[in-house]
Amino acid sequence: MVEARVVLTNKLGLHARSAAMLTKVAAKFESVVHLYGASKSANVKSVLMVMALGVTKGAELTITAHGPDEAACLAALTDLIANNFYEE
Amino acid sequence: MVGLVIVSHSAQIALGVKELAGQMADRGLKIVEAGGMPDGSLGTDTLRIHEAIVEADSGQGVVVLVDLGSAVLSAKTALELLEPSTARRAQIADAPLVEGSISAAVEASIGGSLAEVVAAAEAARGILKL
Repeated sequence: MVEARVVLTNKLGLHARSAAMLTKVAAKFESVVHLYGASKSANVKSVLMVMALGVTKGAELTITAHGPDEAACLAALTDLIANNFYEE
Repeated sequence: MVGLVIVSHSAQIALGVKELAGQMADRGLKIVEAGGMPDGSLGTDTLRIHEAIVEADSGQGVVVLVDLGSAVLSAKTALELLEPSTARRAQIADAPLVEGSISAAVEASIGGSLAEVVAAAEAARGILKL
């Protein structure tokens, strides 16, 4: 298993569209992916669970990936977040 | 891609859910709304739902999301009016309308099968808000 700490810096946090982007990227990989917020965790392949985290700008999150393509999966997700979901 | 039909008693709710789910979906996803009655009043119209299912179907199947009570009945009747070949790949999801539609839209966008899209919609029943 691999993990990374990220800080959400996009304006809107994990709103509908950014949550959907995370789920769509995670779905391209076989690995099991989880996102850990301050008090809740979510299976990233479920957009509703990601949205239910209620994460806003500035939040620190941990992403974990476990599976045959875990390194590439984690890199793709941290890249998306680091680039503010390409929204700004 | 599996298509979606949004059935609501209110045309505005159906349109709004389509807009929200559409923002989270890929452009290729067909989402067709079937809200309200032909005269603009509140209700669900079997023929309109039937047409919406046919429109949303591109061969991979259609998931129908419904709001309350008679929407379920109207959607079931609409399924019965379909050609058998289309009827085999059309299914009503037992899911809340807004959350179910969003979840289904994302699952359909990533290439989920009919069963996977229905399952994604129905997973919305287990998500707690607080």
